[in-house]
Amino acid sequence: MSKETSKNKVAKLDAEGLSLKSVSLWQIMWRRLFKRKSALVGMGILALLVFVAITADWIAPYSPTEVLIGVEDVTARQAPCIHLLGCPKDQPQHIMGIDGNVRDQFSRILHGARQSLFIGFATVTFAIVIGTVLGALGGYLGGWVDNVIMRVMDVVLAFPSLLLAIAIVTVLGPGLINALLAIGIVSIPAYARVVRASVLSVREMDYVSASKAMGGNTFHILFKRILPNALTPLIVQGTLGIATAILDAAALSFLGLGAQPPMAEWGSMLGAERNQVFTAPHLVFYPGLAIMLTVLAFNLLGDGLRDALDPRLGHVAG
Amino acid sequence: MKRTSFMLVSLLVLASLLLASCGPKTEEATEAATQAATEAATEAATEAAAFEPMVVEAPNCDYGGEFLRIEAVDEYTVRFTLCYPDPAFPSKIAFSAFAIQPREWLEANGGSGELLTHPIGTGPYMVQEWVRGEQLVFTRFDGYWGEKALTPTLVFRWSTESAQRVLELQAGTVDGIDNPGPDDFAVIRSDPNLQLINRPALNIFYIGMNNTYPPFDDERVRQAIAMSIDRQRIVDQFYPEGSEVATHFTPCSIPNGCVGLPWYDFDPEAGRALLAEAGYPNGFDTKLFYRDVVRGYLPQVSNVAQDIQAQLLANLNIRAEIVVMESGAFLDAADSGQLDGLHLLGWGADYPDQTNFLDYHFGAGASAQFGEKFPDIVDNLRAAAQLASDEERAPYYEAANNAIRQHVPMIPVAHGGSAVAFKASVQGAHSSPLGNENFSVMQIPGQDVFVWMQNAEPISLFCADETDGESLRACEQVTESLLAFEIGGTAVKPSLAERCEANEDLTVWTCYLRQGVQFHDGSLLDANDVVASYVLQWDAASPLHVGNTGAFTYFSSLFGAFLNADQ
Amino acid sequence: MTTYILRRILSSIPVLFGILFATFALARWIPSDPCRAILGEKATDVVCDRFIHEHGLDRPIPIQFGYYLNEIAHGDFGRSFRYGEPVSKILVERLPTTVELSFSALFVALMIGIPLGVVSAVKHNSWVDVLTMFWANIGVSMPVFWLGLMLAYVFALLLRDTPFQLPPSGRLSPGVLPTSFAKAWGWELEPGFLASVVDFLARMNILNALLSRDWDLLKDAVKHLILPSLALGTIPMALIARMTRSSMLEVLGQDYIRTARAKGLPKTKVVLKHALRNALLPLVTVIGLSLGSLLGGAVLTETVFGLNGVGRILYDAITARDYGIVQAFTAVIAIFFVALNLLVDISYAYLDPRIRLE
Repeated sequence: MSKETSKNKVAKLDAEGLSLKSVSLWQIMWRRLFKRKSALVGMGILALLVFVAITADWIAPYSPTEVLIGVEDVTARQAPCIHLLGCPKDQPQHIMGIDGNVRDQFSRILHGARQSLFIGFATVTFAIVIGTVLGALGGYLGGWVDNVIMRVMDVVLAFPSLLLAIAIVTVLGPGLINALLAIGIVSIPAYARVVRASVLSVREMDYVSASKAMGGNTFHILFKRILPNALTPLIVQGTLGIATAILDAAALSFLGLGAQPPMAEWGSMLGAERNQVFTAPHLVFYPGLAIMLTVLAFNLLGDGLRDALDPRLGHVAG
Repeated sequence: MKRTSFMLVSLLVLASLLLASCGPKTEEATEAATQAATEAATEAATEAAAFEPMVVEAPNCDYGGEFLRIEAVDEYTVRFTLCYPDPAFPSKIAFSAFAIQPREWLEANGGSGELLTHPIGTGPYMVQEWVRGEQLVFTRFDGYWGEKALTPTLVFRWSTESAQRVLELQAGTVDGIDNPGPDDFAVIRSDPNLQLINRPALNIFYIGMNNTYPPFDDERVRQAIAMSIDRQRIVDQFYPEGSEVATHFTPCSIPNGCVGLPWYDFDPEAGRALLAEAGYPNGFDTKLFYRDVVRGYLPQVSNVAQDIQAQLLANLNIRAEIVVMESGAFLDAADSGQLDGLHLLGWGADYPDQTNFLDYHFGAGASAQFGEKFPDIVDNLRAAAQLASDEERAPYYEAANNAIRQHVPMIPVAHGGSAVAFKASVQGAHSSPLGNENFSVMQIPGQDVFVWMQNAEPISLFCADETDGESLRACEQVTESLLAFEIGGTAVKPSLAERCEANEDLTVWTCYLRQGVQFHDGSLLDANDVVASYVLQWDAASPLHVGNTGAFTYFSSLFGAFLNADQ
Repeated sequence: MTTYILRRILSSIPVLFGILFATFALARWIPSDPCRAILGEKATDVVCDRFIHEHGLDRPIPIQFGYYLNEIAHGDFGRSFRYGEPVSKILVERLPTTVELSFSALFVALMIGIPLGVVSAVKHNSWVDVLTMFWANIGVSMPVFWLGLMLAYVFALLLRDTPFQLPPSGRLSPGVLPTSFAKAWGWELEPGFLASVVDFLARMNILNALLSRDWDLLKDAVKHLILPSLALGTIPMALIARMTRSSMLEVLGQDYIRTARAKGLPKTKVVLKHALRNALLPLVTVIGLSLGSLLGGAVLTETVFGLNGVGRILYDAITARDYGIVQAFTAVIAIFFVALNLLVDISYAYLDPRIRLE
């Protein structure tokens, strides 16, 4: 019982804080976030990724789609050649080797950062928008609307998310955008539930009732009074969701259902060369490592955000 | 409360139904098996006394198939009467989809059921156990009429990943593997414990175009592309050793395969000029369709597609967007002429004859894959197919090949070589251009089990109704056809039939069966078994025309329509 | 309690119906013609028309759904178009592989995850803690397929000809033909429901080896299972370690633990006997959720390690347009999921009485 009340109190405080003096709350959050080493590491990796994604065109030594046959003396799937590590200076330097189509793997990895960030943000934005609308409607209106929405969410949740995403992509046809849609659809229920829960928790609170009594418009109340409450859990869920989305999109691409060639996307690069793992391990190792680091960054950041935004956990996670 | 209990009951019902459905219905199958065994035993006794020859015939040839009449003339003679001359008939009946099984066994199983997992053949091995998903185990058939198998037990395993197959071979857990990845060729060659055997390339990989969609309706555009693809580079980079740049559509090892002028030389400048002349000096936008399916003719699908895409852009400024389609949808769209760009496809030989290559793609009966047909190709092919000898047919095929080079319905790129790899200690190791390696002649001295690892699990072992090489190879160890291909080659040799003879105009073929050939169930081969095995496939109205899917795809693609197909 | 369970069961009925409809609709919406996908590329148009007609694929979709429901009501999940066999039979053949894999992955996750979590909670903020949490974070971020490939590379190739060499694919070494424990016990079974249950159990190699005391088989099966279980178990392992750690921390901070420590009980005893037991409650949820993600991960693991389980065949069936298998398998998996969630909820209600009153 005591847990429940304290949670309500927190929610109330958050709500007031956001609407009255939201700046200070964000400041608190940032300060808390910066105290956490793991979150800092996450932000560090993320900053690097964003930098690479923006500047890929300039920092990459080659174009990601440039075929080097006849341009340089290299062969398909050639192992990495790094001058610093003793690779003869007369050979062209390719620090992550050459891929199956005789392209520079390092340049493709750099350009892949764009794809992954895009995938992460696009799917989660899509899922949050739809999930928020559904969750808010269900929570606010209640009754059969709520029932129908939540049962549909249950059906979606009843499938292992990757399998459902595979099935949806097969219906839509393979491709990066369709893969994004599929993963977005699959992750809607998580957000819908979060929003619904926080709508339910504040629906009956005094200031909402007051707005209602003053004859406020339903949607006005929903968007001005109720939804800001859901922001905190949404940010946490969203950040962690980006990690999952990138992982799932990579899995779809690995299976050949996501990004299509010649796009430099880590999952499809890995999937395309998976049969060469024993003869050219560098073609599998680096894209996988890149995926892992990106996902790690979002996971660390998400955990840090959760701890920073949830005062209850403050003393535990220390 | 009432509603609650109703719901509860319905839930229970649902649950019990779920459980009930999990029990496989195997009773019928076992029953059928015992029945067949007893019948087989009695057959030997009664057969000699009274042989009632089976005859099935079509009312006329209007139904559109090749057979007019299939009959048992006597106990050891079968006669096929055809609707039109067919010089390739021996090659066709040597194909393993037309293997002979005992008539009683086929009837006892209603043309399906146990047949799918437990074929009864005359081959050197018989099926011992098929652990689905895991392995397929064969044992030596001691009553085999020919050279008995050298190794008592043969095991088939499978893995779709070539890397895994190679690793299993290196680890010594398997004795031979199919299709090592192109990059693994060197690894295997350099390993003294292993041997690599190339499989001759009896296939073609091509870039297809449909002449009903602009700009491919302009012959100059097609020719320009034909000149501007560096096919040598594709073969060098993405094909294993043993592959060749295609000079013609049909591989040279097939009689009359590469008569006529060889393909255009790589000349992007001439190509650009021709494209400009056709009105596209700055190239155009199009699509490049393919399916992500590895075949012998296309071992690295996505790499080749990306390279062609890059070449089109670099040499002709043609901007091709890659569109990967699901295999079935892709073939369907290609056949119905819906692909409005370039498409990547190939063909593997079913039987070593020009008709299997050229007629199927460019003949009168070909699909709309390349759009409108070219009369000069069609006419020459029709003329050639009526003639019996390769010498007589040569000039027509030369003309057809030249016409193909002129019109460029497609660009032949490569004959893809593949390979098999074995432990160095394997004796009798060989590869077959048709993919039907014969394991009865292989052995590692002193070893009782021989393990073979291929790309995939067989779908069923009733190969009359299967098309994939993985199923066919398993069947070929167990069942045999009237004729056979020589081990590791394409020449037709006697098998269950000691010889097959044609009349003068090649419309009546008579096959004389080997006597005393024993099936795995102990019964003896006679002419009725042959007729029954063929009629099961030919007659769509037969109660035995069931199979796995009921499609009998190879029969219809080699012999045309089924009898009674409309019923 | 009974009313709670009943209520939960009832509320899953519409979900079950929704699942049946969704699986059916998904299978039908998959574009393209299943004919050539199943019969092979050399199928002629005439053959395809017949195939489509025979499987009722030319009928309107609502009518097809009606037929489908009717079949299910008769306990018939239909046939695979491609293999020509009842789907239920294929399920009996393929499910054991996945079940065995999932459970051994979960076993690995629990056996490593819980101790790690406990140690890092007890040694809170020490280097052990930091290191464990660092690895746990990496663990949840690991692409399963990549980890699988890398494990195969290390253990099958780099460590070849060492005692640590492990097979990169398959469930058993070639030629190893397990005999069913039923046979080893001398049971004679009539074909039927009981026989297929026994068959199902016998196909789980480890269980079968234990029951029939075939130690060679056990060794071989375990050797083949190690790499896939590690690959599949890593994410749940990391989740479990994190969960154990945070709930241990919460429990360790509570009064009764402090009292127990103050009374002079040895630390290990307090940790293992009092704290751990209470800290493990939230694990029920994690395990429930993990089993779900394990099934999804099984598609990838089975692809990488060449195992012919449910995940793999479902993926193949989706790409090959084998509606029969897609419908039935997704339905069965989803029903299994709903049942699992139900079980988790109920066990939670059992453990925490407050929930029942909600």
